[in-house]
Amino acid sequence: MAGQEDPVQREIHQDWANREYIELITSSIKKIADFLNLFDMSCRSRLATLNEKLTALERRIEYIEARVTKGETLT
Amino acid sequence: MPLVKRNIDPRHLCHTALPRGIKNELECVTNISLANIIRQLSSLSKYAEDIFGELFNEAHSFSFRVNSLQERVDRLSVSVTQLDPKEEELSLQDITMRKAFRSSTIQDQQLFDRKTLPIPLQETYDVCEQPPPLNILTPYRDDGKEGLKFYTNPSYFFDLWKEKMLQDTEDKRKEKRKQKKNLDRPHEPEKVPRAPHDRRREWQKLAQGPELAEDDANLLHKHIEVANGPASHFETRPQTYVDHMDGSYSLSALPFSQMSELLTRAEERVLVRPHEPPPPPPMHGAGDVKPIPTCISSATGLIENRPQSPATGRTPVFVSPTPPPPPPPLPSALSTSSLRASMTSTPPPPVPPPPPPPATALQAPAVPPPPAPLQIAPGVLHPAPPPIAPPLVQPSPPVARAAPVCETVPVHPLPQGEVQGLPPPPPPPPLPPPGIRPSSPVTVAALAHPPSGLHPTPSTAPGPHAPLMPPSPPSQVVPASEPKRHPSTLPVISDARSVLLEAIRKGIQLRKVEEQREQEAKHERIENDVATILSRRIAVEYSDSEDDSEFDEVDWLE
Repeated sequence: MAGQEDPVQREIHQDWANREYIELITSSIKKIADFLNLFDMSCRSRLATLNEKLTALERRIEYIEARVTKGETLT
Repeated sequence: MPLVKRNIDPRHLCHTALPRGIKNELECVTNISLANIIRQLSSLSKYAEDIFGELFNEAHSFSFRVNSLQERVDRLSVSVTQLDPKEEELSLQDITMRKAFRSSTIQDQQLFDRKTLPIPLQETYDVCEQPPPLNILTPYRDDGKEGLKFYTNPSYFFDLWKEKMLQDTEDKRKEKRKQKKNLDRPHEPEKVPRAPHDRRREWQKLAQGPELAEDDANLLHKHIEVANGPASHFETRPQTYVDHMDGSYSLSALPFSQMSELLTRAEERVLVRPHEPPPPPPMHGAGDVKPIPTCISSATGLIENRPQSPATGRTPVFVSPTPPPPPPPLPSALSTSSLRASMTSTPPPPVPPPPPPPATALQAPAVPPPPAPLQIAPGVLHPAPPPIAPPLVQPSPPVARAAPVCETVPVHPLPQGEVQGLPPPPPPPPLPPPGIRPSSPVTVAALAHPPSGLHPTPSTAPGPHAPLMPPSPPSQVVPASEPKRHPSTLPVISDARSVLLEAIRKGIQLRKVEEQREQEAKHERIENDVATILSRRIAVEYSDSEDDSEFDEVDWLE
């Protein structure tokens, strides 16, 4: 009886160990995926803020250029 | 519903069927799971690369912008340090002549276009089933549209919106033009609402003769009966008919000088009118204004040739609007005779009388006395249009053009409330005397548009000959009799007239084509720029003056 159980038990133990290993790996894959999504979102929001600032700066510069340059007549 | 942008491919690690003949199944499952994990990692790495790629592209474009900004700032700083307050010239010219500062407002457009679809979504889309290949049928289509557009058109809503915006801008422009025109001529529409009933009663009395004239009260009652009593599909017709006649009456009451004024103004629009699409209802009042003066023009021609009124002793003013009066007296005349029985013949008789009068007017040198008209329609008490109409020696072309156009007016109300019971009436109206023949086919063509479901092909050749037989047709409702008129009495004249007719037709058609070409060119010029379209519409809407060049100056970047 014990001899019969041993190989089965061993297999089952091994199987459990394998499954735990696989579970570990898959959960880390999910963490990586979550990290990537978060990174993507935060990057996009920061880039959008940058975009806004750049646009505002560009408009201000246009205005200042128009004020400063002389001799600009109607096209 | 949020759409999954990146889907890691092997979703389930061990949901596969195990191969047979394996002793250690647990190990097998473990190995399969591990293999799927590796595949998942590979797809994860692919998506990670895609994410970083997108972010990098955006950041890269920003870097360009930042660099250019940096350069501009450097230049500005240099130029600012060089500014010297003493050097500044303040001339009035500079202040006014300088171009107004307009910052470049770039708007995000076409955000959800096919081209802006992210790559992973495009790949997901490609996995899906394709639509049926309807585009292979495109070369066999007549209208040049793509076959697939009828099945699925991604740009459908945008095209719809664009068309609506462009249409709105056009409408606004037209409104403004109309307002300007209305400002110029505020008095014209005021003339339309006049007392309409007085004239009708007068016509009736004169038509029926002094013996048969009824009391005013009875007349009104019966007229209201006529308008409201008959079957539903007759209701609209007599009413619209009567309404139109009211409008015509009101104008006919105008003195001669004012009529001539209206004539000169309306004549320029006379030829265009037959080719407009069914005139809009609000234009009815104004629409009546135009054709009526033309009728009056023909009538005034009649007046000039025969200043004396016929033996009935009617006033010249009464004589002038010959075509419009006959139809209204007819409905009222019918009211006196049996209503129901003659209801079917009501539509035909009112219309044929107008052509007979001008026909006889232009042909018969001797004007029969009032009793003669009674012979025309024994069953119907006629007004006296034939006796009124004195003969015209030669119809001048403007008169010729005017008469048929004016005849379209009495017919227009008819086709608008059209029912099958009216196949004959439209053919008779376009049958003016042969003298007016060249322009009659124009009206025939014009009439062919409103009475769409009517008797087909009002042939031009037999058409003009019809008026030569006025007595028989009016009382009969026989469509077959209309086309085959008596033999042509004026073959020689018809050749010359047909040439003129062709020229007129081509002229009108050319105008149509030109308009179409203009519109097509406009459509080609218009780009798919949301901002431009919107700006045009808003500019037209809020501009006080017609500054169509406003938006042309603006430079739309992007």
